Amino acid sequence: MLHHSKCGFDAYTSRGGTSDYNDSAKHTHRQTSNEMPRFLHTADWQIGRTYNRLEAEDAAALSEARFAAVERLTSLATEEGCDLVLVAGDVFDAQTVSDRTIRRTFNAMAAFSGPWVLLPGNHDAALAESVWTRARRLKAVPDNVHLALEPGVLELPDQGVAVLAAPLTQRHTYDDLTAAFDQLETSPGLLRLGLAHGCVQGVLAEDIDSANPIAADRAERARLDYLALGDWHGARQIDSRTWYSGTPEPERFRNNDAGYVLVVDIPAAGAEPAVTAHRTGQHEWQQLHETLTVESDLDAFVETLATVPPNAVLDIRLEGEITLAGEAKLEQALSEAEARHRSLRCKRSQLRLQPTEDDIASLQADGYLAEVIQELRAMPQEAEDSPAREALAILAGLLRERRADSSSEASSSREQASPEPSKTAED
Amino acid sequence: MQLKRLAIQQFRQFREPFELVALTPGINLIHGPNESGKSTLVRAIRAAFFERHRSGTVDDLRPWGDSAAAPTIDLEFEAGGKEWRLTKSFLQRKRCDLQVGTQRFSGEEAEAKLTDLLGYEQPQRGASQDRHWGIPGLLWVEQGTGQELQQSVEHAGDHLKSALNSLLGEVASTGGDDIINQVSAQRGELLTGTGKPRGEYDRIAKQRQELEAQLSTLQERIATYQADVDRLGELRRDHQQDEANKPWHVLWQQHRQAEERFRHVQQRQQEQAREQQALESCQQTLGLLEQRREEMSEQAARLQKREKEHESACKAHAELQAQSPQLEQKEREAQQAYSAAESVVKQARAQSQREKLAQDVHRLQARLDTLAESIGKVRGYQNDLKSARAELRDNTIDEKALAALRKTCRELDETRIRLQVVATRLRYELEAGRSLSLKGKSLEGSGEEQLLEESELHIPGIGKLSIAPGGEDVSKLRRQLERLQQDEAAQLGKLHVTSLEEAEARAQSHSKSLENLRRLEALLESAAPKGLEALCNEEADVRKQRDDCRSELDSLPSTEGKTLPLREAEAALQAAEKALQSAETTLREHRTQLAMAQQRQESARKEWQALDDEIRAPEREEAAEKLAQQIRNVQQQQSALASSLRERQAEIDQAQPDFLQQDMQRLSASAQQAEEARRQRALELQALQSRLEVQGAEGLEEKCNEVAAELEHASRRYQELHRRAQALDLLLDLLQDKRQALTRRLQAPLQKHLDRYLALLFPKARLDVDENLKPGAFEREGELGHMEELSFGAREQVALLSRLAYADLLKEAGRPTLIILDDSLVHSDTERLGQMKRILFDAAQRHQILLFTCHPENWRDLGVAPRDLRSLRSEFQS
Repeated sequence: MLHHSKCGFDAYTSRGGTSDYNDSAKHTHRQTSNEMPRFLHTADWQIGRTYNRLEAEDAAALSEARFAAVERLTSLATEEGCDLVLVAGDVFDAQTVSDRTIRRTFNAMAAFSGPWVLLPGNHDAALAESVWTRARRLKAVPDNVHLALEPGVLELPDQGVAVLAAPLTQRHTYDDLTAAFDQLETSPGLLRLGLAHGCVQGVLAEDIDSANPIAADRAERARLDYLALGDWHGARQIDSRTWYSGTPEPERFRNNDAGYVLVVDIPAAGAEPAVTAHRTGQHEWQQLHETLTVESDLDAFVETLATVPPNAVLDIRLEGEITLAGEAKLEQALSEAEARHRSLRCKRSQLRLQPTEDDIASLQADGYLAEVIQELRAMPQEAEDSPAREALAILAGLLRERRADSSSEASSSREQASPEPSKTAED
Repeated sequence: MQLKRLAIQQFRQFREPFELVALTPGINLIHGPNESGKSTLVRAIRAAFFERHRSGTVDDLRPWGDSAAAPTIDLEFEAGGKEWRLTKSFLQRKRCDLQVGTQRFSGEEAEAKLTDLLGYEQPQRGASQDRHWGIPGLLWVEQGTGQELQQSVEHAGDHLKSALNSLLGEVASTGGDDIINQVSAQRGELLTGTGKPRGEYDRIAKQRQELEAQLSTLQERIATYQADVDRLGELRRDHQQDEANKPWHVLWQQHRQAEERFRHVQQRQQEQAREQQALESCQQTLGLLEQRREEMSEQAARLQKREKEHESACKAHAELQAQSPQLEQKEREAQQAYSAAESVVKQARAQSQREKLAQDVHRLQARLDTLAESIGKVRGYQNDLKSARAELRDNTIDEKALAALRKTCRELDETRIRLQVVATRLRYELEAGRSLSLKGKSLEGSGEEQLLEESELHIPGIGKLSIAPGGEDVSKLRRQLERLQQDEAAQLGKLHVTSLEEAEARAQSHSKSLENLRRLEALLESAAPKGLEALCNEEADVRKQRDDCRSELDSLPSTEGKTLPLREAEAALQAAEKALQSAETTLREHRTQLAMAQQRQESARKEWQALDDEIRAPEREEAAEKLAQQIRNVQQQQSALASSLRERQAEIDQAQPDFLQQDMQRLSASAQQAEEARRQRALELQALQSRLEVQGAEGLEEKCNEVAAELEHASRRYQELHRRAQALDLLLDLLQDKRQALTRRLQAPLQKHLDRYLALLFPKARLDVDENLKPGAFEREGELGHMEELSFGAREQVALLSRLAYADLLKEAGRPTLIILDDSLVHSDTERLGQMKRILFDAAQRHQILLFTCHPENWRDLGVAPRDLRSLRSEFQS
């Protein structure tokens, strides 16, 4: 498995070592350099993705973050001296994104002037009319960006590679599109790089899309030097030559190894590739699901919350029971966390508000107010639409406010009224 | 609370200082006449508490016309175990000082102490009004307002409740009402009074709906878009395939081949048609020739036939001719029968005439006889009438004269009777043998005589006695009698009778004769209404008629034998006429037929003759031979044509021209269709392509995602608001329920005190306290009503009871109570007042009561010494 780096673009390689660049004998075709090619593998940009469940402001920021991620990986490609960038599908989240979104995407790629190969995935399949045909019509696609809209081989002799592309030309297919790779011939001396989008059969724990299958041994059968895959949103190695890069910016609560791009070196023709994962993700997506039963559970949760790295997108679900004091403490912790993170949602409808006797005493509710509190406590709160919990919270809030008011008043009036009789004797 | 001392100066009518001291617990009765200052004292107490010392609107407190005055009140009282002294002055010297035990307060602070103590409010500005008065407003009754309770209780409401909280400390809530108000306000932001969404809640609900609609529209459009994209792909594939294969070329090729084959077949068909025509003309010729031959062979047979026809015509003619005599005979017979019937009818008519005439003669004779009889009778009546008239003449008597005679006779009788009455009576009884002579008449025995005139009685042996009846009447009556007798005689003479009886008899027979005359006249009238002459004329007429008839009858020839009745004879004549007509018709028809038969016979004979001539002609044999030759030639030609036709038809059938034609149609249509499809596809491709380009630029899915996000937010917000609205609703309900329950618990102690007083005033009556602690429903001896409906007096009494009950309740809650009554209960009768005094005395055991009155005599039995305000004032002045 991958090891996460805390911040920045920390890199590691799959074999724990750096690439070996000294074997140049076989790359006579390269005019600019004798080095073996190095390329960047990414996928699943999902540009145009929106986040319905988040607050509008957060959702906008996260949509924006996707462009930022592309910009970052572009800079990374330049910094790392990559010869080309392979994008293994789902560049766009949907076919009909706005013109502006299309233009911004290609603009974000401008900083890397080497060749790009973009592959249509299931979200942006190369249909008769697609986001790609539109991009071309808009003249938004720069010359150095190759759109692999048809299956076949794209030879880039300058980079010493032949890219075998298996684009999706339908939204879903139940054939293994990479099967054609077995028969595809490439010019001798070029590395054979497979580029595909789909689900490797029998390897992934859960089939993301049971459609678009890819044979697990495709790299070997098609004599590929490297098979760059997209669709799985976490970075993941399938075999020594087959990788999912995952999405460069996480966008859901699954696939916890999301937020990376892979820099791949192939030391020699036929040698195993050296893969380094670089973190590009800004926002970690975390789900916290806790059941609170005793007071220490709350403390533990508050601690857990404090350890989540900043800027995360948090989805919290709490169940069990909580006292009024606990609720106040929870509010405090959530309020702090909200400020620290990109987005925080907390579902508490299953968290039963159970004021203790102390709670009620501290509210100083007497007379019929106390009776009302008792009655509300006795009402069932589990049902999703039960208003009793909310009613209790509102009443507690009002009482707390009043107590705050009266205590400040009381303290001020104490100051005035407390003097001893002797002090108030005639002036 | 106990007021101990009250001092005022420069206060309304108390320009000089005045002091009311030694006020005791219980009742203090202060009396004085009107205008003696009672109400001013009450006003002073109220002003001391209610009015802000800084108030500028208390001009009424200063003595009239003294603008430099500073109305001042000085109060000393005990409350809560402490001694209080309040000094307050207004207007020119605004000041308020309060000493509580050893603590001193002044100004607004002092006033706040007082409001807390008694439970009332001070106005923010202006004069204090009843809504500020709180609990004192309830316990201090102003003059003339004792009956107004509801308002006071309302104004005291909150103070009452908070004052009573200590009584029910465990259930009352501090600030509960504030919480309720807050909850109600928060609920009001989301829900209307009736629980419908409002404000943001309502807005969000609507927005959510709008977004849902937008979303579904967008989703539909996306689905359409995607379907279009798929369609575009499909079209493109088809288009490319077509361009590669060009299917219409093949079709056109096939079409051309089919066309060629069809043209060939068409040529053969035309040849066929031509030969067919030749064959047909051949057949026609043959037919004609054979007809000719047949005709020739048939001529002999026809001749025979015509001969037969001629014969049968002759025979028919002969038969008809044979029938003629018989028919003519029949016609003649019918003619005769008709004539016979005619003569029978004539005879029958003559006989009928005779019979009628005989009847007339008979009838006229009978009439003649009747008339003769009538004439005889009339003549008889006329004779009788003549004799009756003579008789009548004989018995004529004057009716008037008769009546006068009757009258005279009656008066004569009367006069005689009266004369006898007045006559002097001479009764005598004579001894036997002796006699008297009166006027020469001898009297013997016994008897009586009436003396009407002077009479001489001669008594034998004695002499004469002359007796003269006395009086005038006798002589007058005698004179009248004589006159009447003369009249009678004259009248009798006039009537030529001797007596009245005779006259009467004559009159009787006269009337009988008259009656007889009338009867005869009537008989005559009936026998000859028009007179005898008319009868005679009629008789002459009838006689003439009879004679005419008889002569006519005699002139008619007598008929012999039996004659038929006329009707039967006429029927026979009609039958004969019909028979005659029918016979004539038959004869006519027969003659026509006969003529026709003759003609037929003639023409049959001519036809036969003509044919016979022809058959016997010489050139006939030659023509028959030539005809046979022609027929043979034509027959040969015909069979040659038929075989040629058969062969060609087989050829045509094999080529199946119908199918060839269909093939041509099919192939050409297919080719056109293929070309059309290609054109259409190209058009659709173009249209679809441009449509998709336009739609693609809209960024539908991105928009859709945005709307979905908005919807998600709106839904979430809606859920939050919905939950909150429900929670607030629930909370408000609960709070209000509990609060109401609490108020109900406060009712009980108040009711207890009220019942205690009420039992004294109205035994068995009941006054209920409502949730707002107001006395409301009043029940007395089965009558149900409201306190407001009681009489003025009773209302004041009940209001006072209630006030005392509040005071008791406040006392129990440890609150100060001071009761001030200014001229209360003036509308109560003695009995009620007595009860009220018992009640006041009872209340005074617990509360200080200041009672101001101008009727001290009403309050003598309160057990306290009344204090006269006037003497107090003069005492103080001095």
